[in-house]
Amino acid sequence: MEQHIQNLYEVLSQVEGFVYPNEIELNWSILIVLYPFITGLVAGAFILASLERIFKVRILKPTYGIALLTALSFMLVATMPLISHLGKPFRAYEIMITPHLSSAMAIFGFVYLWYLMVVLLLEIWFDYRRDMILWANESKGVKRFLYRALSLWTTDISPKAIALDNKIGYIVTVIGVPSAFLLHGYVGFIFGSIKANPWWSTVLMPIIFLFSAIVSGIALVMLIYIIVSKVRKVKLNMACLDMIAMYLFYILLIDFVLEGLDQIHRIYEAEESFEVLHKLVFGKLFFTLFIMQGLLGTIVPLITLGIFQFYKPKENIRKVIYLIVPVLILIGVFFMRWNVVIGGQLFSKSFYGYTSFKIGLIGPEGYLMAAFWLIVPLLILAFLLWLLPPWKKKDEQSEIQSA
Amino acid sequence: MPQQIKRLIVAFAFFILLFLVLRQVLKPSSFGDLGHYRADAIQENIDSELHYAGIDNCSKCHEDIHMDKAIGFHANLNCEVCHGPGMKHVLYAGNFTDRQLPDSLLLYKPVGRSDCAVCHQVNAARIKILFDTIDNSMIRQIDAMTHNPVNKRTNEKLNCIDCHNPHQP
Ligand code: HEC
Ligand code: HEC
Ligand code: HEC
Ligand code: HEC
Repeated sequence: MEQHIQNLYEVLSQVEGFVYPNEIELNWSILIVLYPFITGLVAGAFILASLERIFKVRILKPTYGIALLTALSFMLVATMPLISHLGKPFRAYEIMITPHLSSAMAIFGFVYLWYLMVVLLLEIWFDYRRDMILWANESKGVKRFLYRALSLWTTDISPKAIALDNKIGYIVTVIGVPSAFLLHGYVGFIFGSIKANPWWSTVLMPIIFLFSAIVSGIALVMLIYIIVSKVRKVKLNMACLDMIAMYLFYILLIDFVLEGLDQIHRIYEAEESFEVLHKLVFGKLFFTLFIMQGLLGTIVPLITLGIFQFYKPKENIRKVIYLIVPVLILIGVFFMRWNVVIGGQLFSKSFYGYTSFKIGLIGPEGYLMAAFWLIVPLLILAFLLWLLPPWKKKDEQSEIQSA
Repeated sequence: MPQQIKRLIVAFAFFILLFLVLRQVLKPSSFGDLGHYRADAIQENIDSELHYAGIDNCSKCHEDIHMDKAIGFHANLNCEVCHGPGMKHVLYAGNFTDRQLPDSLLLYKPVGRSDCAVCHQVNAARIKILFDTIDNSMIRQIDAMTHNPVNKRTNEKLNCIDCHNPHQP
């Protein structure tokens, strides 16, 4: 039969029950899943760094620099999945030039800028200023120029100036924590404020997004710390890892309870959308929600890390587990974003039907594109770690002592 | 003022200034004249070429078809949903009465099965109950794959218009 009818047949075979014509195809696909995922990593990594700085958890020191640079490298890429999802990416800047207060996305641009410029860059700058000046003196050519330019050609490294750096850095971190909450809470808000979608529209959304963000960011920094240590061939600081694992455990627990609360709330309310969501959760989302997010991404890490709080197995075993658990958690949080973004589009807003989601390997919305935007921040991170290695920072204290 | 603070203020001032300049340069010139949008957009839309002429224009020259259609099931359909945009045709076809129209003025003739299927193909999304509860004017559904595809005697393939008059089905 003719091509046209064939196409219609094919499309309709993916649909169950009644869906509105504009719901047959999912418009927000994997790139929109990546956006909250990557932004979450930023917020989480930053909050881990702040733990060290504000609450003076000295034991986390080895991960402080790594966490900050991780946050920066993912921050630089956070908007890219969104922009490459646009039909006209080169118009993306217009949202910043003619913003409207009623546009959640336009305001996000400014929340993003605030966080990038006023929080992350400033904190890193104050933290590294002295080292950049010292490194500039030690290196030659382009690298020397780069350090000079990055330190904005400052030269003052008197104890007084450094004390000021530390003080301002501290203040920036204090401002940074609510900013990080705002940044990621805002991403949750963008979904949570969509009234028409019962799967998204909950006031808990920003909070759930925030806690899963912290979980994923901490897991990522843990993983990167282990890998970087392996590459540098230095010994892992187990006390530090144990501490991170403890934080990870408690925040994951809170995250789990919050998400459970959200679901219980939904089940108890049992609004008219309940039936369609119930079928969705046990049907099309079963694998990604219960297996990937629930079992692999939450229950298994919770039990493993929970046991560690009472009984610590040998170091070698812990090392292996500290490598596996963050990966599981990252997968879990990725699928949490997936379940929100994709799940929210799988059912019809008429509550009478479902569509299905297909994704290709290539193409502007395919797996490869998504993988690309996950690899780019890692490359940026590698570059930043080469340029600003946190482990080469000269500790003022030790220098004073040795002098 | 400490050196590093001075430098930072300069750097930030530079970026903010850059942003303001870029904003001024990149902002569409007529933005904000009438509201939070580009005022020129209105004129651009007014100036854009018309493609559809509307049924009243068609019936001026095709009165017969219009009358046929007006008493059939397709009475409420606009000519152009089937024949495509006809503005040019309306403007210039009058010069070709009783002559062959040039290609650029010919309109699409939806003679294929798939053309009718656009509206009549069974579709789960057009469930009957839903339409019946709203009003009874739902579009009748057939399955274009099975609804009289061939002439049973001669085994010839059939188009919908072999049996149904498109203007008066
Ligand atoms: C100014 C008079 C005029 C108007 C207005 C007009 N037509 Fe025509 N139309 C003609 C003429 C003349 C022909 C060619 C001779 C004929 O077939 O009658 C024609 C032919 C056609 C044909 C057959 C072309 C072919 O492929 O053989 C179609 C279909 C058609 N018109 C549709 C329309 C539609 C739809 C409209 C409204 C948008 C419309 N016409 C408005 C004058 C007009
Ligand atoms: C349901 C879709 C449909 C609508 C609505 C429709 N047409 Fe047609 N029209 C057709 C088809 C199909 C043909 C081809 C008939 C054929 O070739 O036998 C056609 C042919 C024509 C022709 C060519 C002459 C002829 O009779 O073969 C003219 C003129 C025409 N239509 C004018 C109109 C006008 C004017 C209107 C609006 C009043 C209109 N049509 C509405 C489907 C439609
Ligand atoms: C733009 C959508 C559209 C297209 C294209 C279309 N139709 Fe229709 N058709 C309708 C509508 C609307 C009705 C009126 C339904 C009613 O009032 O019951 C209708 C009614 C009919 C009926 C009467 C059904 C009944 O109630 O018994 C037939 C037969 C029919 N169309 C055949 C055709 C054929 C053949 C074609 C292809 C030339 C066609 N239609 C193309 C919209 C369309
Ligand atoms: C062999 C001739 C023939 C052909 C070809 C044909 N039909 Fe029909 N069609 C009929 C007859 C006879 C009826 C009325 C009896 C019935 O409902 O089957 C009918 C009924 C219909 C109805 C009304 C159904 C209802 O539920 O009342 C629609 C709509 C329709 N046809 C559309 C089409 C379309 C679209 C095509 C092309 C894909 C087409 N027909 C091809 C003969 C034909």
